[in-house]
Amino acid sequence: MRDYFKKTTSAAPLAVFRIALGMLLFLSIVRFWTKGWIHELYIAPKYFFSFYGFEFITPPGQYIYILFAICGLSAFLFAVGLFYRVSSIALFVSFTYIELIDKSTYLNHYYFISMVCLMMIFLPAHVYFSADAYRKKSILADTIPKWCLDAVKLYVCLIYIFAGLAKVNSEWLLHAQPLRIWLPSKNDLPVVGSLFKHVWVAYAFSWLGCLYDLSIPFLLLRRSTRIFAYGAVIIFHVLTAVLFPIGMFPYIMIATALIFFSTEFHQKILDKITSWIGGLKSLIVVRKTFDHTPANGKILKGLFTVFFVVQIALPFRYLFYPDELFWTEEGYRFSWRVMLMEKSGHAEFVVKDATGKITAIDNREFLTPLQEKMVATQPDMLLQYAHILRDHFSKQGWQSPQVFVDSYVVLNGRLGRPLVDPLTDLALQEDSFQHKTWILPFENEIKGL
Amino acid sequence: MVFSKHYKNFCVCFLLLVLSACGGSDDEPSPVDGDTDREEILKHWVDNILIPSYTNFKTKLDVMVEKSNSFTGSPDDASLVEFRNAWIEAYTEWQKVELFEFGAADKYTLRNFFNIYPADVAGITSNINDPSVNLALPASYPRQGFPALDYLLNGIAADDESIVAYYTSDPNAAKALAYVDKIVLRMNTLLESVMAEWNGAYRDTFISETGLDIGSSMGAVVNAYVLHYERYIRSGKIGIPAGVIGTTVGPTFPDKVEAFYKRDISRTLAKTAHQAAIDFFNGKSAANGAEGPSFKSYLNGLDAKDPNSGTLLSTIITNQFTTINGKLDQLSPDFYEQIETNNQAMVDAYTSLQMAVRYLKVDMTSAMSITITYTDNDGD
Repeated sequence: MRDYFKKTTSAAPLAVFRIALGMLLFLSIVRFWTKGWIHELYIAPKYFFSFYGFEFITPPGQYIYILFAICGLSAFLFAVGLFYRVSSIALFVSFTYIELIDKSTYLNHYYFISMVCLMMIFLPAHVYFSADAYRKKSILADTIPKWCLDAVKLYVCLIYIFAGLAKVNSEWLLHAQPLRIWLPSKNDLPVVGSLFKHVWVAYAFSWLGCLYDLSIPFLLLRRSTRIFAYGAVIIFHVLTAVLFPIGMFPYIMIATALIFFSTEFHQKILDKITSWIGGLKSLIVVRKTFDHTPANGKILKGLFTVFFVVQIALPFRYLFYPDELFWTEEGYRFSWRVMLMEKSGHAEFVVKDATGKITAIDNREFLTPLQEKMVATQPDMLLQYAHILRDHFSKQGWQSPQVFVDSYVVLNGRLGRPLVDPLTDLALQEDSFQHKTWILPFENEIKGL
Repeated sequence: MVFSKHYKNFCVCFLLLVLSACGGSDDEPSPVDGDTDREEILKHWVDNILIPSYTNFKTKLDVMVEKSNSFTGSPDDASLVEFRNAWIEAYTEWQKVELFEFGAADKYTLRNFFNIYPADVAGITSNINDPSVNLALPASYPRQGFPALDYLLNGIAADDESIVAYYTSDPNAAKALAYVDKIVLRMNTLLESVMAEWNGAYRDTFISETGLDIGSSMGAVVNAYVLHYERYIRSGKIGIPAGVIGTTVGPTFPDKVEAFYKRDISRTLAKTAHQAAIDFFNGKSAANGAEGPSFKSYLNGLDAKDPNSGTLLSTIITNQFTTINGKLDQLSPDFYEQIETNNQAMVDAYTSLQMAVRYLKVDMTSAMSITITYTDNDGD
């Protein structure tokens, strides 16, 4: 182990990763902005759904544009490697802040980006082929501790493996759910569209998707299978980009998987960039190793160990909750459970008070369509919304308002059923990490992980 | 054992997968039969349901326009009765097109100008006195269309004699008749605009949007259909007047029934609207009555069913429709009277409609994989 931490490797792969990640995030921000989603998701909603424990994160109103500008700018500086310490911290903080504003926008790939940016703050991705190293030759180095590169690889491997394990269940493998629902909706695509009416195609996609996730890290790690594996990465992610509205994620993963390639490969990329832009020669030819001071190295290794222990533990936290994970979603987020459920619902709320006032709620007066969809299927958000209603009517002068919901949820093609006990006054329930006893039982079994 | 049955299905499918990978044969028989070609469905909807339904409605509206002209030309008992009968016929036929609030009708927000009730009597009175009033504003919605005519033909005075007297000798008579002319003409103009769109280039645009995302035609139709069923049939016609709030019943509002001033046609209107929703679900052609590509055939094509009982989702929905028809038949033709005498029957009808709302809004849209927003998602 001690020997492992003494190993060094080329600084090129991490530098290429820095450039690619920064550029793609910069493009993501530009895309998000030009589509008008900043307004739609962070200004237009009347209410926001904070994450449990992160209630202090509030939407900054019109200043959200400044936050996005900071995020975009820091992504660009991050890519170029200018003011790396500041830009990497600014990128992580601004991006994560945005993602924590509203739970209804939660996507696993945003979480992935947050976590990778967090790691990158502590990794020497700027010592090679960066504006910082150009300005300050003393930090320039072309080799770095091997563990620093391996940390990123390990994280990518974990994501694929967890995503694969999450598919090892009866829904995905035995019933081809939810792909057998989703694929026919794309049957108007040219060439492949006509295939999607066949159920066996959904089974094939399910099994291949699961096998892909579980095997791709190992195939990428081995030199002999790497080219083949990368071809699979491209096909897999391009296919998901065509079939599902998952934005930049496929491209980010295609770029990220490059990190498994040899140091020579990355050096060639940097050489190529050097030949396009003159005056960078001095950034390539060095013989110097970056290393942490012994104290810093110790702290960093400790921090990374904690980080990975948490990352490995989080996806298993669902084991502490009773009933079906897909139904209660207790322990569902931050676990690389992607594209696993076709879940939708309908929730009608009624508010009453002690004086006999009663009203039915038109959700559209309080929520955006996206929020309404999420509230109807995710118990923690449903409770948050009940509290929004309680507080709203309290302000209107109602005496200790009670909130009840008539809910109905369908999961992966089953007939729908009520999600929440209609007799529970949600105004009195508090959120916590405990099981929510007012969620009605699923009374069905999904086998597997 | 359920598991072993699924396991067998899975083995068969896996075998098919392996075979097809080896043999590369593309003409595997589809395990589901039925129609999932959305372009065919869209075509059928426009050509055999929407356009003929609008044409049928136009015929009735034309008669109403004619009878309205006779009435406003010389208001008397006979012309009032004829106008009123034409109004009932047109109002009933309207129920068969109100659900098409997507595409062209959505562009003109047709429903807002045809059937927002209860009628705003104070607003109608003030509009009568202000010939330059802008009828396109939201405040004007309940001051025009069929509900305004309901008031003007049935509620402006106690009986036919006094209604005719109002239009012949009241100081406001000329202005009131001018207002009748104005709103009838407006209905006709709006309907013509919507029909012109469907009969024009818009038809092809609509049919070419074969996706299921939020900008697509089928997505728009499903959302409009479900919204109509939930808000305008379940709540508007039954729930709101019966005082239903969620799962409880509050104070009733019998004055909010549809056609409140005529009263005895409220059940006919509700049943006609509900039957139109059923016929659309089944893809029943308004031209020849034959069933064609539809929600039903699409759901069957997707093989959407309750995995526990094996019953097709379309059958579950159809059975619920039948239950609802039974509940509606038990109601008085006059919902006002029904609410005043036995509101529980209204609540029962509401409860069975609510079940259908769930099937349509949640089970059906989920089975069809209808998207509701533009933004990225990773399937939760």
